[in-house]
Amino acid sequence: MKKILIIDDDQVFQKTMTAKLELLTYETASAVDGEEGLSKVVSERPDLILLDIKMPKLDGIGFLKKLRENTNAPKIPILITSNLSSIDRISEGVALGVRGYIIKSDETLDTIVKQIEDILKK
Amino acid sequence: MLSITIISVLLAVGGIAASIYFIIRDRQAKEILIKREQDVSRRMYELAILKELGDRIGYSLDVQQIIDIIINSLHQFIDYSAVSYMLLGPEKLIFKMHLERSVHQRFVNDIRDRMLGSLSALLDREFNKKDVKEIISGAIIIEELDEPVRSFFNIPLVIDEKVVGVLTVADTKVGLYKEEEMTILYKIIQQASKAVTSLQGVVKTEQAKVNAMVESMADGVVMTDIDYRIMVINPSARAIIGLPKKEDITIFDFIDNLEGKFDIRGRLEESVKLNKPFKSEEVLIKDKFYKIFVFPVNTNATVEIGGQEAVGGVVIFHDVTAERSIEQIREQFMSMIVHELRTPLSGINKISELLREGQEKIEKKDFDDYIKLINADSNSMLELVNDILDIAKLEAGKFEVKKEPKDLRNIIDNRIEFFKTSALDAKLSLDVVYSTTLPKAVLIDEAGIKQVMNNLISNAIKFTKRDGKVLVLVSEHKKGAKINEEFKGLPSQPIVSLPEETFANAQGSIVIAVSDTGSGINQSDIKELFSKFKQLNNKSETGIKGTGLGLAIAKGIVEGHGGTIGVVSEIGVGSVFFFMLPLG
Repeated sequence: MKKILIIDDDQVFQKTMTAKLELLTYETASAVDGEEGLSKVVSERPDLILLDIKMPKLDGIGFLKKLRENTNAPKIPILITSNLSSIDRISEGVALGVRGYIIKSDETLDTIVKQIEDILKK
Repeated sequence: MLSITIISVLLAVGGIAASIYFIIRDRQAKEILIKREQDVSRRMYELAILKELGDRIGYSLDVQQIIDIIINSLHQFIDYSAVSYMLLGPEKLIFKMHLERSVHQRFVNDIRDRMLGSLSALLDREFNKKDVKEIISGAIIIEELDEPVRSFFNIPLVIDEKVVGVLTVADTKVGLYKEEEMTILYKIIQQASKAVTSLQGVVKTEQAKVNAMVESMADGVVMTDIDYRIMVINPSARAIIGLPKKEDITIFDFIDNLEGKFDIRGRLEESVKLNKPFKSEEVLIKDKFYKIFVFPVNTNATVEIGGQEAVGGVVIFHDVTAERSIEQIREQFMSMIVHELRTPLSGINKISELLREGQEKIEKKDFDDYIKLINADSNSMLELVNDILDIAKLEAGKFEVKKEPKDLRNIIDNRIEFFKTSALDAKLSLDVVYSTTLPKAVLIDEAGIKQVMNNLISNAIKFTKRDGKVLVLVSEHKKGAKINEEFKGLPSQPIVSLPEETFANAQGSIVIAVSDTGSGINQSDIKELFSKFKQLNNKSETGIKGTGLGLAIAKGIVEGHGGTIGVVSEIGVGSVFFFMLPLG
């Protein structure tokens, strides 16, 4: 059974995405900021991470940088899920080797699940 | 010889004079007339020379060119074998001789030596023959014609009180030049030099004006000639390439310091070759953004019959850093608004997706949570939309303040009541104190003041840690009184004293302060707090986010009442937001 870690301070997205994934028998874990995300990566060992950008304490870009600095960290595919549309943020994220960037408001829970499945199949 | 020339000139140019000459046959009268005509024709010649100077050289002040013009027409007036000039060039002495009639080489050498001698005497300087660049034009040198210089006179060329050379007229015939001829030539030269001197004065003044302008320009200005030698560079341009003190800046200093971000040489070449101006995109040079303009520089079209001639190019560096940062702030603001709108919308969207999918799969507790979340999301969207509308109204100057006499105490008590629950949830105290002298009714816009209070109290709650204190203070301010003294009459005090200078010239007013024991605000952030495009990067204790529009709106409302809003803060102690509403 695959485990998805959702790092997002958006309470509604956390709750609905978790519910959807659990209905599809995925395991889930959650973190509300980058710092908590970093510790959950280690403790939860997820198969994929959904990562928000705009978060308190440590934002998504900071999380990615810290994660890449740590060479012992497991190589986990990351899908950025944000409501930002700033192009520099995207390119910065891509430069750090994320698997995709989706704007939450442009997707349904179903289409997000579809992209998660595509990444996990590879 | 001279008189024949004069008469021929006279005949040619002075039709009136000629007719008079034939009408009056009296010999004496004729002599007087000839004398007068000589004067007239000389004056005409002088004028013609000056006019030609003006027409042909315009503002070009090449002395050599001017002398050339004079000697080219001189033979109409004075008889000579050769006319020559010797000028101080930048490196060499220029010796130019125009031969009307063929002469022997010795004649040429003799003139040259005599001129060298008189120039040495005039300037009190030794000159060597090697320093002379010789140009001979006109008739050819013939060795058989061994005739020496028999008539000769020198006129110094003086421009702006400085000797720049000598002009010589010489002939192989004896006793040719008398005082009259010399006077004529001397006068012509004097007039020309006067004209050039005053022209030079005009040009110098203009140049000084242009220089002063270029020097003081905020934009970097560099002018080069066609070989990319730098002719003009202003302090701004030096600063851009980081060489404010270096002497003799070359194009290579630019090439090195522009770090390949702008091909200055290539652009100059292109611009000059195509005779077309060039404008760059934004270029980042040493932390600043510039738009760079390149213009070709041409000579005035009237100088050469062949049209304009390229003499170089000008490069202007226009600093757009400030404009760019405003643009960036605007972009950030838009991106923030988009993010804040998308988040609740997307939330509602996802919840409805789940609910539609199958209510039977959702537990009762989750279902209730979803309904609460939809409610919260739609509220936050509503709030944001209202904020945006308020900001738009403020921007358009359409924010209306409808003032009516209201009991301020009632309004504030109502707001305290409203926020009691959230203060309790955040484990904070929320209290209000009033001075006893408050007027019963104050002219205010009730909805507006409620909005200001909502904003200030909710911010105070958001940014204060548990067990902290939020206190609202309301007092009357009398004109000329010290505000902190007035506040001392209240049962509690604000956490930080109010700035007296803000109230020093204020008229009688009501002052409302919201004091909190939050973490305080950096001095550098304070001035941006009330600006609509700057959201403080400071996250609230509870992690609550906001658009940061509230304070900009509050400012608009308070100013709509003719009042002012402000803040005092101390890091680690707390902040006091205050506003005053003028009475009457």
